Amino acid sequence: MEWRVKNRLTILAAMVIGVSFSQASAPSGYAQEAPVSISFLTHWPPETVAKLTKAASVYMKSQPGTTIQIRAVPFADLLTTLRSQAGASNTFTIASIYDLWLPELVRDSILVEAPDANAAEVKKYWGGSAVSAASVGGKVFGYPNEIDLYGLNYNKKLFAAAGIVEPPRTWDELAADAEKLTKRDGGQATQQGFGFINSWAAGVVHPFAALLAANGGALIVDGKPALDGKAATQTFEFVQRLINAKVANPTMGTADANTTGPFLDNFVGGRTAMIIMANWWESALRTGMGEAAFADVATTPIPVGPSGDMSRTISYTWLTVVNAAAGKPQRDAAWKFLSWLNGPDSGENGASAMGDLLVSMGILPSRQSDVAAFSQRLNSPFLAGYVSQLKAAKPFPVVLGGQEFTDALQHHLEAMQFGQETAEQAQEQAQRDAVSILSKAAHQ
Amino acid sequence: MTASGRGWTVVMLAPSVGLLTVFVLIPMTLTIALSFYGWSSQTPFASARWIGFDNFKEILSVGSVGRDFRQAVGNTCIYAAASIVLILPLSVALGLLVHQSRLRCATALRTILFSTYMVPMVAVALVWSKLYSPTEGPINQVLGWLGIAPLPWLSRPDTALEALVILNVWQQLGYFTILAVAGLTQIPETILEAARIDGARNLGLFWHVTLPLLRRTLLFSGIIVTINAVQVFEPVAMITQGGPVGATNVVTYHIRRVGIERSEGGLGSAMAMILVIVLSAIVSLVFLAAGRRSEK
Repeated sequence: MEWRVKNRLTILAAMVIGVSFSQASAPSGYAQEAPVSISFLTHWPPETVAKLTKAASVYMKSQPGTTIQIRAVPFADLLTTLRSQAGASNTFTIASIYDLWLPELVRDSILVEAPDANAAEVKKYWGGSAVSAASVGGKVFGYPNEIDLYGLNYNKKLFAAAGIVEPPRTWDELAADAEKLTKRDGGQATQQGFGFINSWAAGVVHPFAALLAANGGALIVDGKPALDGKAATQTFEFVQRLINAKVANPTMGTADANTTGPFLDNFVGGRTAMIIMANWWESALRTGMGEAAFADVATTPIPVGPSGDMSRTISYTWLTVVNAAAGKPQRDAAWKFLSWLNGPDSGENGASAMGDLLVSMGILPSRQSDVAAFSQRLNSPFLAGYVSQLKAAKPFPVVLGGQEFTDALQHHLEAMQFGQETAEQAQEQAQRDAVSILSKAAHQ
Repeated sequence: MTASGRGWTVVMLAPSVGLLTVFVLIPMTLTIALSFYGWSSQTPFASARWIGFDNFKEILSVGSVGRDFRQAVGNTCIYAAASIVLILPLSVALGLLVHQSRLRCATALRTILFSTYMVPMVAVALVWSKLYSPTEGPINQVLGWLGIAPLPWLSRPDTALEALVILNVWQQLGYFTILAVAGLTQIPETILEAARIDGARNLGLFWHVTLPLLRRTLLFSGIIVTINAVQVFEPVAMITQGGPVGATNVVTYHIRRVGIERSEGGLGSAMAMILVIVLSAIVSLVFLAAGRRSEK
C-alpha cells in the first residue's frame, strides 16, 4: 500500500515536472499543448517540398504533440485551392501566398492576423518593404519568405558566338544585341534575341512592369493606374519595336499551368538569348540545362529606358499565412511552427530552415539574418545580378482588384505580341480597363 | 388513386426528388438568386448585396469583363461547332467500318476506339501538351520527316483552339462511334435488303436509307457532343490557361476564374446563368428542328 502511494506520488510529480518543462519550452503567448495536427499548403516543386518536409520532421521531434502535413499544388491551382478550401477548418492551416492576393484574402476574412509576438518578430527582423508586403492596414498577416526580383537573364555562350562582349545597359543596346543574337528561318526567329512570355499573367506582366520601372515609371501610382504616362508609352512602344523587328518570336514564349513550357524549353535549349525573369527559376534552369550549361547563364540589371535615371526593377514577395477558419489550437501551433521555421535556430550558421530551402531554389530570402548567412551563395553569377538590384527594386503594387488588373494588362500585352493590337491601342485599352477594375474593387 | 396509393407514391418518389432538390434545384436556385447580388464567394451569403441587373449589365458592357466573357462565349461556340462537325461524320464513318460483319478485327477495333474515352481527360491533356510541344513534340517531329515546317499548335492564337478541338475529337470519337454502331444495329436488315432490290447501292444506300434511319442516334450524339464541348474545362486549365490572348478561354474556365480566383461569386453566377440559358435555347432549337423534320 505504502509502495503504491509512493509510486503514485512519483508519477504525479513526474507529470507536474513534465508539464512545467513543456510550458517552459513553449514561447509565451501559446497555450497549445494537446496533440494537434496542422497542414502547410504550398506551390513549391517536389525537391523543395522534400526540404520543407524534412524541416517539419525536425520540428516535430522537438514538439511531439504537433503533427505537420505538407501539401503541394501547382502554382496555377494555388489561389483556387485557397479560395475553394478556405472557410473550412480541416483543409489547410498554413498557406504560402503571393502578396498580390493578400488584400482580398484579408477583406474576405480568410486569413487571421498574426499574434502580437509574431508580428513584432516580423517587424524586427525583416526589411520595411517585406513587412509592408505582408501587412494590410498596418496589421501583419504572415511571415514574408521569398523575395523575387526581375532581371535580364542572358546566355553568355550565345553572346560570345554573336561577338557581344558586354550585356546591354540601355534599351537601344538591348534591341541592337537582340538583332545580332537572332537567327531566322523564313522570316521567323528560330533563335530569338529576346524572349517574351505568354499565357501566364505574372510571366507577362512582371517583365513589362520591370521594363517600365527601368524607364522611371510604375503600373500604379497612389492607388491609381499610371499606364497613360510618358514612361508607359515608351515601354509599350519598346515592346512593339522588338516584335516588329522580329527579334522576339511570341510562339516561343508559351507557358503552361506549371509555369514551365516552351518559354522555359527555348531558353534552356539555347534558342532564346535574353529573357526578363525572376530569380526563382534558377532551379528549373539548373534541372533543364545541367550544371555545365547553366554556368553559361548570367543575370544583369534591367536595361535602362530613355526616361529612366538608373536600372530599376520590380519585386514581389511571398508570405506564409494562417487560415482564419482553423481552430485556435491549430492556429497557435501554426504560428509557433512558423516562428521556428523562419527563425535563426532552425537552419545552420544562423540561417533559418526557410532561408535554406528558398536559397536552394535560387530564391532570395527576405529575413535580414538569412541574407547575411547566405551572402556567399547569393554571390553566384546568376543571383548576384538580382541581389545588386534589391535596393532599387519597387514592390509590385498590392491593391484590391490586383489580380483582375494583372489579367487585363496581360490580355493587351499578349494582343500586342501577336499583332492584334498596336502599342497605342494596347496602352489606351489597358489604362481604361485598369481604371474600371480598380474603381470597382475599391467600392466592393 | 386512394390515400394509401398516394402515400406510397410520395414514399417512392421521395428519395429521387429529395436528391434532385438538394443537388440540382437548390444550387440552381441559389445561382439564379446570386446572379442579382454583389457577393464575394468567400464570404457568407448574408454579406451579399442586392444589385439588381448590374452583373448582367457588366457582362454585356464594353469593359474588360464583357469583352472577356464575349470572347469566352465565342471560343466555346467555335469549339462546340468544330467538335460536332468533326465527331459526327467521323463516328458514322468509323461506325460503318466496325459494323461490317466481314471485318475480322471489328471487336478489337471497337475496344481500341472506345479506350480513348476511358482515359481521364487530365491524363489526356498532359500527354497531348507534350505531343504538341513545338520543338520536342512527336507531332512536329513527324511533320519534320515529311518536310513540313513545325506548327506552333498551342502557341498561336489562331491555332490553339483548333489544337484543343483535335484533342477533344481524339478522346470522344470512340464513344460516339460506339453510339453510331448501336444505331446501325437498330436498322432492320430487311429495309436495307429492300433498298438493294430497288437498286440502291453504296453511297446512295447510305445517303438515302442508312443516314435517315440514323437520325435519332445522330441527334442524341449531337446534343451530347454539344453539352460536353460547352462544359470543356480540363485541357484549358491544364495546358493553355485560356491563352494565348484569351484564344482558348472558354466559358467554364472563365466562370471559374471570375467566380473563384477573383472571388466575384455574383458575377460568376450571372455568367453561369447566361450559359444555362444559351445552352437550353440551343438544345431546344435542335429538338424543335428535329421534331419538324420528323413531321415532314
